[in-house]
Amino acid sequence: MTFQPPAPANTVAALVDHASKIYGTGDSEVHALLDVSVQFAEGEFTAIMGPSGSGKSTLMHCLAGLEDLTSGTAIIGGVVVNDLNDRDLTRLRRDKIGFVFQSFNLVPTLTAEENIKLPLMLGGNDGDEAWIAEVIRIVHLEDRLKHRPSELSGGQQQRVAVARALASQPDIIFADEPTGNLDSRSGTEILTFMRHAVKDLGQTIVMVTHDPVAASYADRIIFLADGQVVDEMREPTPERVLDRMKQFGN
Amino acid sequence: MFRFALRSVLARKTRLALTSIAVVLGTAFLAGTSIFSATLSQSFDNLFADVFKNVNAYVRSSDVIEVGFGIEERPRISSSLVDTVKEVPGVLDAAGDIQAFARVVGSDGKPLGSDGQGPPTFGSVITDYKGSLWSISSGRLPNGATEVALDEYTFDLGNFTVGDSTRVIAQSGSREFTIVGVASYGDVRTSGGATFALFDVETASEFLAEPGVVDQVLVTGDGSLSDEELASRIDDVLPKDSRLETLTGAEITEEAQNQIGDALSFISIFLSIFSYIALGVGCFVIYNVFSISAAQRQKENALLRAIGASKRQVTGAMLIEAAVIGIFGSVIGLVSGIGLSRGLSALLSSFGIDLPSTGLVVSTSTIISTIIVGLLVTMLSSFLPARRAGRVPPLAAMRETAVETTAVSVGRLVSGLLFTIAGVGATIAVIAGADAVLLGLAIVLVFIGTLILGPIISRPLALFIGIPIEKIRGVPGRMARDNAARNPKRTARTSAPVMIGVALVTAVTALAVSIQSQIRDVVGEQFYGDYAISVNSFGFGGLSPDLADEINELPEVETATGIGTAAAVVDGGGTLLTVITPQTISEIFDFGFIEGNVSSLTADGIFVSESRAKRLDVQVGSPIDVTLADSSVRTLTVQGIYTKDEIAERYIVSRDLFEGTTVARFDFGVYILTRDDIPDEQARAALQTTVDEYGVGKLQSIDEFIDEQAAQINQLLGLIYGLLALSIIIAIVGIIITLLLSVYERQREIGLLRAVGMTRSQVRSTVRWESVITSLQGAVLGAILGVGLGWIIVFALRDQGLRSFEIPLMSLFWILVMSFIVGVIAAVYPAYRATKVNILRSITTN
Repeated sequence: MTFQPPAPANTVAALVDHASKIYGTGDSEVHALLDVSVQFAEGEFTAIMGPSGSGKSTLMHCLAGLEDLTSGTAIIGGVVVNDLNDRDLTRLRRDKIGFVFQSFNLVPTLTAEENIKLPLMLGGNDGDEAWIAEVIRIVHLEDRLKHRPSELSGGQQQRVAVARALASQPDIIFADEPTGNLDSRSGTEILTFMRHAVKDLGQTIVMVTHDPVAASYADRIIFLADGQVVDEMREPTPERVLDRMKQFGN
Repeated sequence: MFRFALRSVLARKTRLALTSIAVVLGTAFLAGTSIFSATLSQSFDNLFADVFKNVNAYVRSSDVIEVGFGIEERPRISSSLVDTVKEVPGVLDAAGDIQAFARVVGSDGKPLGSDGQGPPTFGSVITDYKGSLWSISSGRLPNGATEVALDEYTFDLGNFTVGDSTRVIAQSGSREFTIVGVASYGDVRTSGGATFALFDVETASEFLAEPGVVDQVLVTGDGSLSDEELASRIDDVLPKDSRLETLTGAEITEEAQNQIGDALSFISIFLSIFSYIALGVGCFVIYNVFSISAAQRQKENALLRAIGASKRQVTGAMLIEAAVIGIFGSVIGLVSGIGLSRGLSALLSSFGIDLPSTGLVVSTSTIISTIIVGLLVTMLSSFLPARRAGRVPPLAAMRETAVETTAVSVGRLVSGLLFTIAGVGATIAVIAGADAVLLGLAIVLVFIGTLILGPIISRPLALFIGIPIEKIRGVPGRMARDNAARNPKRTARTSAPVMIGVALVTAVTALAVSIQSQIRDVVGEQFYGDYAISVNSFGFGGLSPDLADEINELPEVETATGIGTAAAVVDGGGTLLTVITPQTISEIFDFGFIEGNVSSLTADGIFVSESRAKRLDVQVGSPIDVTLADSSVRTLTVQGIYTKDEIAERYIVSRDLFEGTTVARFDFGVYILTRDDIPDEQARAALQTTVDEYGVGKLQSIDEFIDEQAAQINQLLGLIYGLLALSIIIAIVGIIITLLLSVYERQREIGLLRAVGMTRSQVRSTVRWESVITSLQGAVLGAILGVGLGWIIVFALRDQGLRSFEIPLMSLFWILVMSFIVGVIAAVYPAYRATKVNILRSITTN
């Protein structure tokens, strides 16, 4: 596998082209994604929204190489994800992608610091010490580094997850309902960090959410319904998002 | 609740299978050894019933010398008794019978049968007498001084055809015979690999023993009398003071059956010890699997409690599950045991021990005891986990994840320490002079203590062993180390079977190494020769005494001396006398005489070991009565006392003592000092030529001789290793099951690690190193316990002359290497399962 050098600013960090994902066969066939083509620009915070079963999580999973596309192409940092074998896919996730999941983000036997450095350690490098220190400072985890996940609050755990995603300076971060399990204060905190990472650090983030408030932190929202992109919104506010959502009949 | 429990078992087929494996392995060996022993004893019972079917009475000397190991010697009786017995009304026919040493030389010039500790080589009698124990299956009966019949096994072994001529070696020397027939004993080809040369009675007497004597008289009745009446009539005609006895056919059959039964029961006890060890190890695995599965089902059990099930019902459901698994596993174990017992027979026959064949004897008691033992063991092993399952608070149903409790209680620490300290204390007490019986208790106490302390030791030990692994292996090493340490109870329980296995292997090895070094020391201190010619036949046959004399005549030889043994009764007990040639022994052996001179032993003298002299309270000059194997009583004078009794044992007599007696005399070894001015190769070639002429005996240099003595221990060690291997297999299975359950439990974690970039090979590595740490943990603890156990055994045997204890460092190293490999092997499948974890399912919450 050859990684191409990082693309210049405002180029495409990731894209899917004519992507379709079909589950099952015959009568029980379900089209989770139907000929979807979306691009995610570098340094942009994109939210993917849509009702349950709209295919928003599937889109993210396929883009991140966690799931195969039935047809179409997914590209991250210039690499065609579809072509990769398991080993290269794993390296891609380790080196070019950061993940923040809704829950169970951390390895229980490792400390907060070790969890943050996990992808780097797996790749056998120490990463950029100064950068990692900066990330830890940004998410306010300086005094929690030696704690294990069980000794951290839910909000702190998600902050560790965000820090881990940032630590390896990936091409793109995927966040799957990162605030779904948090109280509003902790949620706001996480979203602020992510916003900050995009604005000040130039990070690219794609976030799946069904929360209009969370989505309003993004630069751009893509709306999915029945496996297709149905709308797009720039500079969203919670009210506009909510209005748009109502049209889906939720 | 019962139906719920049943459904719960069936719903989890994988867990059922995993748990059952432990039960199956444990019970299979138990059933296998039981079936094997029963089959063996049944086949020998049948054999002797068949062989003695036409023998109604049996006349032999009533004098007997028992020298231990089931070996007894009786004086021979006059063959004229055959005619006396034939005169008795009711007797149809009678014939003399002899069993003695004889060895057939094969067509390639090499003696048949084993030189070492294998089955013995016999000479015996075959006649047309109806009660003859042997019958001709092809060819004809031997007749006269130059004809022999062979049993089928020997016949095949020597590649003979009827009409061939062959040499046979016996006490009186060797002689050419013509093979005229092939014989069978009952319906078997051979009695357990022994070889037989069969002659007519006169030839047997004259060639195997002395003319005019037989070992016993076999009598067949004409059917007019019961066996008891026949025997008592025969008794009546026997000379009153002749020290003879008459047994009925049933009595001699039973005696023969019992004799072999005693020998077999030794084998079966030996095997069952190991099957119980395997079962005990299996208990740990069962206990562990139940504990883990109870923990993993905590939520489910809590839910049951929350909706109204009582503690008793939850516990009961677990126990019912255990019972189902116990019965299921035992039944499969029983079936596997049948296969295993076939395997054991095949194993024995591959060692050259061909057994009489009977169908497998699967007795009802074997079936019932296997199933009951399997059921009980499973129920007992699952009792604690089941009780713990019942105690789960209903609230646990709402908790996110269930984990086993890892808290280590003070009670555990205290009781564990108490057991261990009590054990060590008992050991110290014995060293200080208390009864050695306490040592057994000490061993048990320390083992229990270690098992109780296991979970406490486990975490620090796992972390310690993991240090180099983390250094070398990075994140997977780190994860493995943490995983091994995160649940100390589980790791301790998983490594306990390895610990027990390694402890036993280490202890046995330490004992063997100590014995070997003892052998080297003893031979080195007491033997000054250059060569040894040896034959190992357990006091039955051996080297002709002439061999030593002839070798002494060789120009290459400085001195050669023969040493043999003879059964005798001294001070009321049967014993073996060491028989030496006083004129030639002094330069070659040093028995540490503190009084007397080894060269000056006369025919009416005896040397006594120092410890024996104290026991008998005799000094030089004291008289000692010795009854020889021909029943003659000699009063010998103590002419010397020696201290080094490892080779010579209690008594030494001169070979001249046996001049003019009918006692069979053999040397078990001839020991040679060659002349310094003769090159080794030349001396050896000359010796070999003489040995070849005699056809029996193995010529070895002193070093080869010592190595072989020590190597004999290795054979036994190999057998014990083989039997302990089963426990090791169960331990491996235990690790596999635990790892599988852990992988299942950590699916989400593994999925997360894969999502953030852990490769499949890193996942495998994590599981593999956790397995290695677990296995090594057991090995380290086992090695420590094993060295202690070995030391205790050696200490307990110090009265048997075992003086020094040696730690088998090299073996310990290999044991650790093996444990490492065990860890790697056990991890293969669980690691594969771990790489198959579905990432998506792990990270998407539901």
